[in-house]
Amino acid sequence: MKNSTIPFQSTLALPPVSLPKHDVPKQYQTHSISILIGGAAGTGIKTLENILSDAFKQSGYFVFSTKEYMSRVRGGSNTTLLRISDAPIFAPCWHVDICIALDADTLPHVYERLTDDTIVLADESITQEKIQITNIPILKKAMEIGSPSYSNSFAAGILFGLFGLDRLLLSKSISRFFHDKNTQENTAAMIEGVAHGESIKSIHIPKLPKPLSTLSNSMHLLDGSSASGFGFLTGGCNMITSYPMSPSTGVLNFMASMSKEFTLLVEQSEDEIASLNMVLGGWYSGARAMTSTSGGGFALMSEAVSLSGMSETPAVVYLAQRPGPATGLPTRTEQGDLNLAIHSGHGYFGHIVLAPGDLQECIDYGYLAFELADRYQMPVIYLSDQYLADSISMMESVDFSAYEQRRYIQTSDETYARYKLNDSGISPRGIPTLGEGIIVSTSDEHDERGQITESYQMREKMVDKRKQKIELTISEAYGPKVSGQGSIALIGWGSTKGVIDEVIKELDDPRLFHVHFTWVHPLNPQDLEILKQTKANIMIENNVTGQFADVLKNHDIKIDHRILQANGFNFFTDILKEEIKKLIKDKA
Amino acid sequence: MKHALDRTDIDNAWCAGCGNFGILKLIKEVMTELEFDPKNTVIVSGIGQAAKTPYYIDTHMFCGLHGRALPVSTALKASNPALNVIAEGGDGDMYGEGGNHFMHTIRRNPDIVHIVHNNMVYGLTKGQSSPTSQKGFQTPLQVDGVTNEPFNPISVALALKAGFVSRVNIGNYAHAKMVLKEAFLHKGYALVDVFQPCVVFNKVNTYKWFKDNTYELKSDYDSRNLPSAMIKALENDPIQIGIFYQAKSPTFEDHIRGDEKQALCSLTHDIETMQKVFESY
Repeated sequence: MKNSTIPFQSTLALPPVSLPKHDVPKQYQTHSISILIGGAAGTGIKTLENILSDAFKQSGYFVFSTKEYMSRVRGGSNTTLLRISDAPIFAPCWHVDICIALDADTLPHVYERLTDDTIVLADESITQEKIQITNIPILKKAMEIGSPSYSNSFAAGILFGLFGLDRLLLSKSISRFFHDKNTQENTAAMIEGVAHGESIKSIHIPKLPKPLSTLSNSMHLLDGSSASGFGFLTGGCNMITSYPMSPSTGVLNFMASMSKEFTLLVEQSEDEIASLNMVLGGWYSGARAMTSTSGGGFALMSEAVSLSGMSETPAVVYLAQRPGPATGLPTRTEQGDLNLAIHSGHGYFGHIVLAPGDLQECIDYGYLAFELADRYQMPVIYLSDQYLADSISMMESVDFSAYEQRRYIQTSDETYARYKLNDSGISPRGIPTLGEGIIVSTSDEHDERGQITESYQMREKMVDKRKQKIELTISEAYGPKVSGQGSIALIGWGSTKGVIDEVIKELDDPRLFHVHFTWVHPLNPQDLEILKQTKANIMIENNVTGQFADVLKNHDIKIDHRILQANGFNFFTDILKEEIKKLIKDKA
Repeated sequence: MKHALDRTDIDNAWCAGCGNFGILKLIKEVMTELEFDPKNTVIVSGIGQAAKTPYYIDTHMFCGLHGRALPVSTALKASNPALNVIAEGGDGDMYGEGGNHFMHTIRRNPDIVHIVHNNMVYGLTKGQSSPTSQKGFQTPLQVDGVTNEPFNPISVALALKAGFVSRVNIGNYAHAKMVLKEAFLHKGYALVDVFQPCVVFNKVNTYKWFKDNTYELKSDYDSRNLPSAMIKALENDPIQIGIFYQAKSPTFEDHIRGDEKQALCSLTHDIETMQKVFESY
């Protein structure tokens, strides 16, 4: 190790990295249809979502799907929503064109999402007076084939039959997801379903969007958890230590599956306190380590976040938000932990908070989280949420070689002092055995060597050092993404990106434009100037108070309206569209 | 007396006569005699007077949070298995605040030496009871004396089948040195619970008390027998010192790293593999 080299060794002298440029998808969907499927937990509804998303993609459609589920292993009433479109689509709708009810609990659960035009297909056991439904012997047929679990493949078949789509593509998707396990039975159920779907003639079937023949090869279908995982790997993550917690576990599972492909240490820790302390131990000896958690677990990590700040040991935390307080709604979504992230840890030190809004940003900012933690030697908190983590959408291919790799670890000599004072506030970070220096990292206030001190003069210097680091991160912060131009800004951060984009396109009002924040803390005031030139600023946030609106207010940005929601659901395009339409009606 | 491993220009925060001085000397001598390279050694500690030990030995150190030395040690050892890793702290740090990590670190079996300064009292917070305080021990907080059952780290470690379980009395220096050497040489997790008096806050468990109330395990004691080790661990009056149990098993690093044990800092992910994996989505 003494003679070993650090790949991509770099220094702070280099300007901050730039993210690779991506082509922004220009086309906008002209036609989409939505399908809502409901059933109990443990009956394979997630598998059905994966199969249908894949099969529709193979059939040449853009797909977006999202699920809402109860916090239980079996039973309850869960749904998955699929939207199929002729162009990229990144947001859910509330009202649906087609609803498939696999059990009796589904209809009361989704009732408000049905319109007079919704086609409701339900198992023959289900009766419902208020709405017109088409009964199909889903369960009976599945049982005939051998098990109620074949209902899902049967239901997938119904849709392909209904739309007259190529069942061979569906059959391939079924084989892909079941790997040999019961493929034959599921395929048989699917074929039965297709026959039933084809026989449905009495109702008005919504027209499918126009398929694109080249789509299935050029686009990739994945959920936010996987995209975040690819981002972390791109950032060189080689250690993840976590305690499982919904909705963050998707990333942990993804990373565990990747440990077969890469040198990537995965350990399930005894608690979240251990998780983040392990992360710090990893970085101290040269690893690129992270942890994954949700709000409750992150609360337990606060002291270690503070230790990361004091000891100037980098750390990356993937924080997938769910509604609190306390246990809250474990399987549902909210953007409620922004303040927790920004203010986590006692004492004064810098941290960076990032909140990606779509798959590409999940990768970009996952990569960036590691780059920034290493560059500034401070904790970086990457905020996702249940909605973003669990939703499946499509993205173009990614060139992973386009992400600049840097490692800021320095070789040390005999005179090395871990907390050497200099103009930037950032001391070169040595690690044990790379060079001759002794690496002293500490949680106590310290001198340049890392020895405990209570000298008030040294304290002032070290407080100033940590302040300088914050100022550096502000000066190098990434600004918001501004889409379009106009007089009324719709402002969002994190996972609301897709829904706000779609609403603006749907409303087609020249006054509206989108200002979206992915780097949410700390903010550079210069990047906020655009919000001082608008006639109105409308903040859209998935929490009860408008936490980011308050952050902007503290930067002297006027927030005229706050559209807030904290009921466990993400925003829906059709509902948000109406809300904004009403809001801007009276504005000149 | 000067030692080659002394860190220079330090302000030692311990009280005169503290048992910690003996432990500091012991570690430096064992490291020297076993030819441990200080530049290849990391001492990880938490908070408390015992946890200040690494500030006085010229090795790498990570002094983190109260009770959290073990998870830090586990991860840094895994990310660079060539390092010698020592986790060090007091009885409150390791058995109280860090009790959960104590259990689960034993289960993981990382190749580290775990040194716990056990003086049966809290020093830095000024004299409250510790998890190992004896029943009846009066403090400003436990005004009628301690009523909780004392934590027995030896029997707990044995119940979890720790690979090296030992206890020493710093007043019995030659014996302590022999045991610590064995702990350093053990491949896997090694617990060394060190009796040491707090000369300021514990007027009961003094140098003399530890001398009178401990005795060495007999020379014919078989440290490979877990049930008999447990019987010895539960003996209270007097208290046994020595190596209670020793057994070798694969370490955490063996499991998580396999045959490839290069320092993680020298490795990168293969971009072509990444591209290939992504294309499968």
